[in-house]
Amino acid sequence: MTMIRNALGETPLARRRALWGLALVAPNILGLFFFFGVPVLAAFATSLTEWNVLKPAEFVGLANFVRLANDARFWQALGNTVRLLLMVVPTGVALSLGVALLLNQRVPFRTLLRTVYFLPVVTSTVAASVVWTWIFQPRYGLLGNALAIFGLRDVNWLTRPDLVLIPIAVVTIWQRLGFDMVLFLAGLQTIPRELYEAATIDGANRWQRFRFVTLPMLSPTTFLVSVLAIINAFQIFDQVYIMTARTSRGGVGGSASTLAYYLYDSAFGRFEYGYASAVALVLFLIILAVTVVQLRLQRRWVYYESEHG
Amino acid sequence: MTRVRRFAIVAIALLSLLLSGMVVAQEDSPTIQAQPCAEPGQLTMWVWDPVWAEVIGNAINAWQEDYCPGAEVELIQQPWEQYWDLLQTNAAGGDLPDVFNMSQDRFYFYADNDALLNLQPYWDEYGVDTTVWGTGLVDPYRWGEDGDLYAGPVNWDTVALFYNKDMFDAAGLDYPTADWTWDDFASAAAALTDPENDVYGASVYTEYQAGYANWIAATGTTPVVDAERTQCTLTEPGSIEALTFLKDLLDQGYMPSVSIQGGANANDAFNYWLNERVAMVSGGSWKLPEAIANATFNWDVVQLPKHPDTGISRPILHSVGYVAASNSDNPDLAANLILYLSSDEGQQFFAEAGGVAPANPALQQQWVDSFGDTGVNISAFVDALPDTQGVTPFAEIWDVMNTDLVINIFDLGMSVEEATQQACDFIVTQLPE
Repeated sequence: MTMIRNALGETPLARRRALWGLALVAPNILGLFFFFGVPVLAAFATSLTEWNVLKPAEFVGLANFVRLANDARFWQALGNTVRLLLMVVPTGVALSLGVALLLNQRVPFRTLLRTVYFLPVVTSTVAASVVWTWIFQPRYGLLGNALAIFGLRDVNWLTRPDLVLIPIAVVTIWQRLGFDMVLFLAGLQTIPRELYEAATIDGANRWQRFRFVTLPMLSPTTFLVSVLAIINAFQIFDQVYIMTARTSRGGVGGSASTLAYYLYDSAFGRFEYGYASAVALVLFLIILAVTVVQLRLQRRWVYYESEHG
Repeated sequence: MTRVRRFAIVAIALLSLLLSGMVVAQEDSPTIQAQPCAEPGQLTMWVWDPVWAEVIGNAINAWQEDYCPGAEVELIQQPWEQYWDLLQTNAAGGDLPDVFNMSQDRFYFYADNDALLNLQPYWDEYGVDTTVWGTGLVDPYRWGEDGDLYAGPVNWDTVALFYNKDMFDAAGLDYPTADWTWDDFASAAAALTDPENDVYGASVYTEYQAGYANWIAATGTTPVVDAERTQCTLTEPGSIEALTFLKDLLDQGYMPSVSIQGGANANDAFNYWLNERVAMVSGGSWKLPEAIANATFNWDVVQLPKHPDTGISRPILHSVGYVAASNSDNPDLAANLILYLSSDEGQQFFAEAGGVAPANPALQQQWVDSFGDTGVNISAFVDALPDTQGVTPFAEIWDVMNTDLVINIFDLGMSVEEATQQACDFIVTQLPE
């Protein structure tokens, strides 16, 4: 009892304050625990069972994970996810930085343009995917017609296993762009003007100012954007689900299947909830590992003003 | 062996009883007689279709009035998009509705997990001859050693050929007839194709139900998996023959590819037809209201063309059933309600509502008449009933057999042999045992 008291604070006032603090954060913490923590733990437990929801779950140990390791469809989904990530993250980060740099200058209709770039973020992925499906329709779609001018006719974007990831990547980048742009814009506003003035006086040209002032000063934002973009890329699902719905969901032979899609399909397509939970757990571990690696690597390239100031 | 014999017996019984069913109906004695319930109680019931919910609601009111005063039914319409997920979740919680709508392709999963009430003892008790419905309607709802019937059929739909009469007139061709063979169909498709105007002769290959499976069935082969779910039939000669026939039509430019018509679903082909891009499309009877309302050209329906050697067309027949939960608190009452909803009286509500056709064989003409004077040969669907193919595949293989197979052959140019082999390689992994 004394220990708890001491943990809360030395004086009655400090203890009272600490109790108030705990009381105020309690709703959030409890909500997080019951609606996030408990399901996560339940998913972990489920991953050790074979369960089709109708019959009682059967404990199978690590059998689901052994099966995962030998499941070609799982590796295919993992491969597709990594491929999508490589297509989406570098392009998306570079594009959103470019747009942010442009819209950070005095251009006409700046506010309007910022809004326009942000609109896809607040558009439902499902609605956007449906529209993009039509844009990619080979004969009557916008893109199909545009490509026909160059002699490319009837390209089956959404059925060809070698092409299907491209439309999915395009939608993902298009929808993500505005969000990353806003983060970069905020980052750009925090860079002190004096640094640019000093650099100009030292004779730095435009490129050098960007390379040696903007980029390092922006690195915390770039880091944040990259981490979020990578997590987002690992969770690509809606685009796959909707854009391949009219042809073959998840792509022909699983060619558009991502980890998140494979998880969904295992649970709600094939009723293998234990196996799906195992997929979810592996997805979680991958995202965790990648994020930890990023956190380590950031020390090498991310510059925080306060550290040196 | 016994199973095979049973199927043969049932098949023969069907043919004779379907005929006698019509006769009985004309004599005005009911094909299926509703019975009073033993004891009223409470039931919950789920349906997925808002139109049916209204029709079934009216039927339930009549049941409460005429056969089971004091019974209470909570009728809930769950949207189709969530229906199966919700059902599964409730099943997991041991909280299935007492009575609910079931689809043939999903039945297997619930029956295999002992979630459904065996209705056969009730059919026997009520004196219902379950063969009046015919094999396509009820065989997919039979389960267990003795082929007990676990569902009361609600309604059926089957497939016929919708054709654009204006296009036939423009090409100077005679309209198709029920005696058409595949060869007649192929030559008409060729004559109706007009590449300059982006018009195709036909689109008949899409997903299982309204597409390629009908052509496989006409060769005498059960499409995709056999009735016992012991093997994948896509690599059998009949399947190869039918798919090759269809692929040839596509390769010659008489049919649009999946990408061109905008998708591998039957709806995509049908919309393409409604937009006058294609002259002939295979479509389900559930498409009749839409075609009547939306087609801006002259059109009609005819039975699918017959295979030149077997001399049959055997369209896929799908029937929705009423089933009861095995753990229902009121199994007797649930069975009594299902009996009523399947009876002549209960089915009357469906026959009058139009739309999908009631399962009860006595009410077919009434269903045809419910469309009014459309000039469309709606009887083509009823005429197809005596020789139909029930749905044998199940949900787990749906994507592979519907979309992957169709896209590989009809969009990506894969050979029929390779595509069917690929599909079967997966399907065999999903077969029971």
